[in-house]
Amino acid sequence: MNFLLFLPETFLLLMALIFFCQSLWKSSAALNQGLAFFLSALGVIVCLLNLNSSGELFYKAYRVDLFSQLFKCLISLGLFLVVVLGRKFKGITEGLQPEFFMFLSLSSLGLMLMVSSVELLTIFIAMELSSYSIYVLIPIRNQVGGNQMEAAIKYIIFGAAATGVMLFGMSYVFGVTQSTYLADILQKMPLLIKEPVAVIGLLLVLCGFFFKLAVVPFHFWTPDIYQGGANETVSFVATMPKLAGVALLLRLVSLAGTEAITLVQVLVLLAAVSMTFGNLAALVQKDLKRLLAYSSIAHAGYVLLGILTLNSAGFSAAIFHISAYLLMNLACFLVICAVSREGENVTINDLSGLYRRSPLLAFTLAVGAFALAGIPPTAGFTGKLYLFIAALNQGHLALVIIAAVNTAISIYYYLNIVRSAYGQDPDGLPAVTLSLSNRLLNYGFILAIFLMGTFPAWFIDLARTACKTIIS
Amino acid sequence: MTTISDFIPPIIVAQGAFWLMVALTLAGAFIAVTLPKILHNILGLALSMFGVTGIYLFLGSQFVAMMQLLIYVGAICITYIFAIMLSPPQELDQPKKRKTKVIAALIVSVVAFIGMIQMIISVNWGPGTTLTRDWSIKTLGQQLLTRYFLVFELISLLLAIAIIGAIMIAGIGQKRD
Repeated sequence: MNFLLFLPETFLLLMALIFFCQSLWKSSAALNQGLAFFLSALGVIVCLLNLNSSGELFYKAYRVDLFSQLFKCLISLGLFLVVVLGRKFKGITEGLQPEFFMFLSLSSLGLMLMVSSVELLTIFIAMELSSYSIYVLIPIRNQVGGNQMEAAIKYIIFGAAATGVMLFGMSYVFGVTQSTYLADILQKMPLLIKEPVAVIGLLLVLCGFFFKLAVVPFHFWTPDIYQGGANETVSFVATMPKLAGVALLLRLVSLAGTEAITLVQVLVLLAAVSMTFGNLAALVQKDLKRLLAYSSIAHAGYVLLGILTLNSAGFSAAIFHISAYLLMNLACFLVICAVSREGENVTINDLSGLYRRSPLLAFTLAVGAFALAGIPPTAGFTGKLYLFIAALNQGHLALVIIAAVNTAISIYYYLNIVRSAYGQDPDGLPAVTLSLSNRLLNYGFILAIFLMGTFPAWFIDLARTACKTIIS
Repeated sequence: MTTISDFIPPIIVAQGAFWLMVALTLAGAFIAVTLPKILHNILGLALSMFGVTGIYLFLGSQFVAMMQLLIYVGAICITYIFAIMLSPPQELDQPKKRKTKVIAALIVSVVAFIGMIQMIISVNWGPGTTLTRDWSIKTLGQQLLTRYFLVFELISLLLAIAIIGAIMIAGIGQKRD
C-alpha cells in the first residue's frame, strides 16, 4: 500500500506529537505559536499536493479520492486560519497552549479521517476522535468565573446522546444490509429505501452529523458552547466540524439512491425548521458569539437545501456554501478575537465605532456580515444562489420561498452588527491595533470572500467533479 | 441422577431463563432512572447490564457476553462508584417535575416505542442476523486486524486522547480550588 496517500493524516499526527513533546516541558508561548503557524501552513501545502491523489487503504475501509482530498484541503486551511487569527491566543491559558495546539491538530486529524472513511465503524471512531478533542478543548479558557466547564459538560452530554442515536441507527443499517462498508450498503440500500427500517436507520445515522452541523432539533448545545468556550476555540468548533459534517451527510445521503422520497421529506422539514428557528432566535441576541451560534443553525438549514436535492448540482452547491461559510464565519471570528482584549466575550455594543478604532477590522466585519446575510457580490450570496437553484430544479418551491424569506429576516440582525460598527460613536472604547499577520489575514478574507462571490465557477466545477466520485 | 429437565422440558427452562434476563434488564433500567439515591441508580444499571449479558448468551455470542460483563458490569459501574465516592457529597434538591413536561415526554416515548416495535416486526431482517457465519473469537480477531484494522488502530489513539485530556482537565480543576 502507498503511504503517500496517507500523508496529510500522518503530517497532522506528527504535528500533534510535536506539541505533545512541547507540553512535557516549559516552553515559551511565542515558540509554540510560531511552531503552530509554521506547521499548519505546511499542512495546507501537504494537503494541496495530495489533492489529486486517489486510492484505497486499510482493506478498502479508507478511500482517498477528490471528494475527500478537497475536504482535507479545506480542513487544513481552516486549521491554518484559526491558528493565524488567534495569533496571541489571549483566551487560552498560557501554560496549556501546547496541549491546546495538540488537541486542535488531533481534532483536525479526526475530521480528515472522517471524510475519507467509507466504513461505518471507521466513520464513527474518527468522529469520536475529533469530538473527544473538542470536549477537552472547550474547558481550556483563561477566564476566572467563566462558564467554560458548563459548556464542555453540555457538549459532552449532547455529543454522547447524538453518538448513541447514531450507533443505534448504524445497527439498523447493518441489520438490513449486513455490511458496514459503504460500498456494500450502496448496492443494497436503494432497493430497501422504501422500507421504513432502512429510512429510519439511515436517518438515525444522519443524526450524528446533524448534531455536528447544529440542525434543529440537535442545536441545543450551540449557543451555550459558543458563549462558554474561548473565542479561539469557538472559531474552530464553529467551522471545522461543520465541514466534515457536510461531507459525511453527502456521503451517506448519496447511499439512499435517487428514489428516497421519505428521506427527502424529513430533510425538507428539518431544513425549514432550522432556518426559521435560527434566524428568529438570532434577532434578539446581544452577545456576538451567541448571535453567530443561531446564525450557524440557520446556515445548517441552507446547506440541507443542497443536500436534499440528491444530485451533484445540489451537492456541489452545499460544498460551495459550507466552504464560503468557513471563510465568512472565520472573518467574523477574526474580528471577535481582535476586539476582545483579554479573551472575554464580545457584545454588539463592544463593536461601537469600530470604523474609527480600526477601519480595516470594521470593513472585514462588514464583509463577513454581508456575506453571511447573502448580499451580492459576496461568497454568501453566490452560495445561496446555487443552493436555491439546485433546490428549485428539484421542485422544492415552497422550501426555497421559506429560505428566501429567512434570508430577508437575517439581513436585519447582520446589518445590526454593521450599524454598530459604522453608525455609532466609539464612546471612549480604545483603538484596536493589528499585527502584520492579522492585517494580511484581514485583506485575505476580504479578497477571498469577494473572489469566491464573483468567480465561483472554478470552485463549483471542482466540487462537481468531486461529487461525481460519491454519486454512482 | 435427576436434573431439572426431568420435570420441566428444556425449552421451557430456556424460555424461563430468557424472560428472567429480560425482566432483570428492565427492572435494572427502571431502578437506574427512578430511585433518588445515586448509588442505587448505579446498582440498577449494573443489574440491567447483567441482564443484557444474558441476552447476548441467548443470541449465541459468548464472547460479546463476556465482554459486556467485564466492561460494563465490571469496569464502568465500578468506575462510576469510585467517582462518586471520591467526590464530595452533595445533597441536591430534586428539581420539580412539571406535569406538562412529563406528559409530553410520555406521549413522545410511547409513540416512538410503538413505531419502533411495528417497524421491527414488519421488516424482513434477512439471514445476517442468525448465526450463519463463523463468529468465533478467532474470526473476530482476524477481522479486527484485517477489515477493521484502521478502527483498531484509531481506538488506541482515541484512548490516548481521552487519558491526556482527563489528566489535563483534572489539572485545570485543581488550580481553581
